[in-house]
Amino acid sequence: MVKESKTIWDRLEDIPREVLYGILIISFIMPMLFPIGFPVPISPEVQRWYNTIDNLPSGSVIMVDFGYSGGGEPELGPMAVAVYHHIFKKGGIKVVAMSTSNEGTLLFDKAIAEINPSQYGKQYGVDYIHIGYITGTESAMAAVGKSIRATTTTDYKGTPLDQYSIMNGVNEAKDFALLICYTTGGDQSEGWVRQWYTTYQTPYLCAVLAMMVPTMLPYQKAGQIVSLVSGAQAGQMELLVHVPARGIKSADVITITHLLCIALVVVGNIAYFGKKFSGGKQ
Amino acid sequence: MSIVFKRTLPIVIVFATALLFILEFFVTIPGIDFKSAATTVNNWGIILTAFTLAFGAVNLFIFQGRHILRRTKGQWPFSLWMLIVIVIFIVIGVSSGVSSGQYTWLYSASYFALSATVYSSLGFYMTSGIYRALRAKNIESGLLLIVGIIALARNAPAVAAGLPIIIPWEAWISAVPTTSAQRGIMIGAALGALALGIRTMIGRETGFLGKLTEAEKGG
Repeated sequence: MVKESKTIWDRLEDIPREVLYGILIISFIMPMLFPIGFPVPISPEVQRWYNTIDNLPSGSVIMVDFGYSGGGEPELGPMAVAVYHHIFKKGGIKVVAMSTSNEGTLLFDKAIAEINPSQYGKQYGVDYIHIGYITGTESAMAAVGKSIRATTTTDYKGTPLDQYSIMNGVNEAKDFALLICYTTGGDQSEGWVRQWYTTYQTPYLCAVLAMMVPTMLPYQKAGQIVSLVSGAQAGQMELLVHVPARGIKSADVITITHLLCIALVVVGNIAYFGKKFSGGKQ
Repeated sequence: MSIVFKRTLPIVIVFATALLFILEFFVTIPGIDFKSAATTVNNWGIILTAFTLAFGAVNLFIFQGRHILRRTKGQWPFSLWMLIVIVIFIVIGVSSGVSSGQYTWLYSASYFALSATVYSSLGFYMTSGIYRALRAKNIESGLLLIVGIIALARNAPAVAAGLPIIIPWEAWISAVPTTSAQRGIMIGAALGALALGIRTMIGRETGFLGKLTEAEKGG
């Protein structure tokens, strides 16, 4: 049996996945090792997020949900870190965090270690706190909105909440000027709309995985979310806050890998039409 | 077990609970504090959810323990490894606390690294998938190709900066076709959830009661 030889179109139309994976690895390792410093434009959503925090009056309290898991940390962690930098730099704002993800408290510790709040003179229990992982997702959101102390009496370290000055006069959704959620789950991102925005009209900023953005767009268009961003836009936030870190480093990688995908799509289509017009089988 | 305990009582509990939350949201009657009642019931729900986590861990021990005892081929070593890991996490978490350095190290060095790796590996499949799927074989796939290229270009920061004309194109695609299609899906799902909720409240939906005979379902 004679083996039919492959044409150049055949080869380009069906590049082995091992080759694709190899090119992809190179295309994201190289800009990591040798940063190019491509321009990063600020999107309207990121600018709106920044302005929302910047316009908060002194003395405001923000609720933050660390609702993401370890898998999503490389994407959402840099955004959480950049936003905390912004809040601490601005000053006069208290941040109460909670987690609807069971890994949230650990990821909070990771973020705080990266931020180093003491550089801004911020102290745990005075300027920021984490009240722990609360099970039940939407039930947790609803319960915390009605009464934090009826839901949990301690922070994530087990210390009574009333021992922290930050918790003075803070107990329900109405005490918060803003809600921020970083999440890898639709239950969380949509749940906060239902349990806090709809019930208390708390302004809501939401950061999700890039692939989740289309599913959340209707909420932003309806005004239920002030700003919806993907974690991949962390570099833009870092530029606005003037704290370049992991997000801006990954911006080069995002550009290169997206260009690679476009190039592969072009190659695939050229091969497809080349084969078609040269009389090859489709 | 009588039908009262198996069917009627659970439905009454579900009906009363659902009614409480509906009243708490929509109705204000002077002298009646729906809010504190709803808060209490909500907290019961949180405690029950926490209990189910512990129950899930016990169930894992029973399920994986069976594999180990039976030496299920190709499975039991993984079951054993899983239980060992669970025990290590529980022992360190309970003895040192979940915010201790030991527990954080264990989490960061094992689960965090592995889950980030697994999630990141999606990038490889996506690249391969984009290359193979975005082919202009007909009008529909041609449209998908154009939208895909615009979305890819817009989300590459440097491309958006160098070619700003794609920004309003992508914004229109997100704001109009994507949002309207997504709204249709969401409204449909919400109406379905509403219908399911009403059917569950009035006892027409009995899936949550477990296995029931036709007579017990009550038509």
